Amino acid sequence: MKTHQYNRVQGQAQEYEVFARKVRLEPLRQIGSVVAPDADLAAAYARATYDEERWVEMAIVRRDQLLQLWAPGEEPTE
Amino acid sequence: MSLGELILSLADNKQLLGLRYAEWATRAPSLEADIAAAGMGLDDLGHCRVLYGCLEPLGDDPRGGLARDQDPAGYLSLPYFDQPFPSWSHFVAANAVLDTAFSALIQACVEGNVEVLQTRLRKMLMEERYHFLHGRSWLRSGVEQEPLDEAWRQALAWFGPPDGEVAALHRDGALSMGPADLFKRLEERLEVQPPRVAIDWQGWDPRRRREGKGGGIDERTFNMLRGLEEKRFMPASPSAGAGRTDA
Repeated sequence: MKTHQYNRVQGQAQEYEVFARKVRLEPLRQIGSVVAPDADLAAAYARATYDEERWVEMAIVRRDQLLQLWAPGEEPTE
Repeated sequence: MSLGELILSLADNKQLLGLRYAEWATRAPSLEADIAAAGMGLDDLGHCRVLYGCLEPLGDDPRGGLARDQDPAGYLSLPYFDQPFPSWSHFVAANAVLDTAFSALIQACVEGNVEVLQTRLRKMLMEERYHFLHGRSWLRSGVEQEPLDEAWRQALAWFGPPDGEVAALHRDGALSMGPADLFKRLEERLEVQPPRVAIDWQGWDPRRRREGKGGGIDERTFNMLRGLEEKRFMPASPSAGAGRTDA
């Protein structure tokens, strides 16, 4: 999986994916991403950027922590 | 100083902090930091409105005795907010130290025995968690020492003397923490060693909770608070726009 490296703020900033849902019955879905040098700042950025709607749950995960099984154009068995 | 005056000081400081945050909404080091500055500014302006709304239930509204329309010193805010933040380090020091100091007092109110504060201020602590994470993260990345030392100094001054009104409100149960507990709480939250600070309590202004008697918010901000800045963009008279024709 390609992970963008950002160096524009504090050293090696990372991309964090933001997930949220509006009601408990919904699954979490990806609503966007933020770039931050650590998880604390990523949480603050995610909340500030995406809190316009009333989410019952919001979570973030570092993009390079996602385990990709296959990517667009690849076969699941490869 | 009554509990109402302390809450007014908290409200005025939050209003000024919110305005100063907002001034950095297009100047922060990254787009995310811009959005966070705008978001935290909105939060603090919202908090100040809630706090102003608590004044009447607490008793006489202390704003009545202050000439807030004529005198910038009628606002009970700290010197740190008298001028726009001149650097990002000033922003971070205010975010990390002063915003967290205000949150410590809010927590003391929520844990105290005054019902209107227990109920209305609780939600602020949830929102302030993200201000704290933002401030602490930027603080750890390193900021200039001078604004940081000044923020610590003004936080200590704002909590007040060991035998002052905040201590008395703590003894009465209105606040769960006194001045020393509040400063310790701030120190623990930020996980840093504060600078050695000695306040001359003889020269301390008990109404504005700041050192020295002079100073006040800058003229442009004072005009904005009174709605005068916005008036510059209004038609000079009700008929000023009458001749306009829209296609």
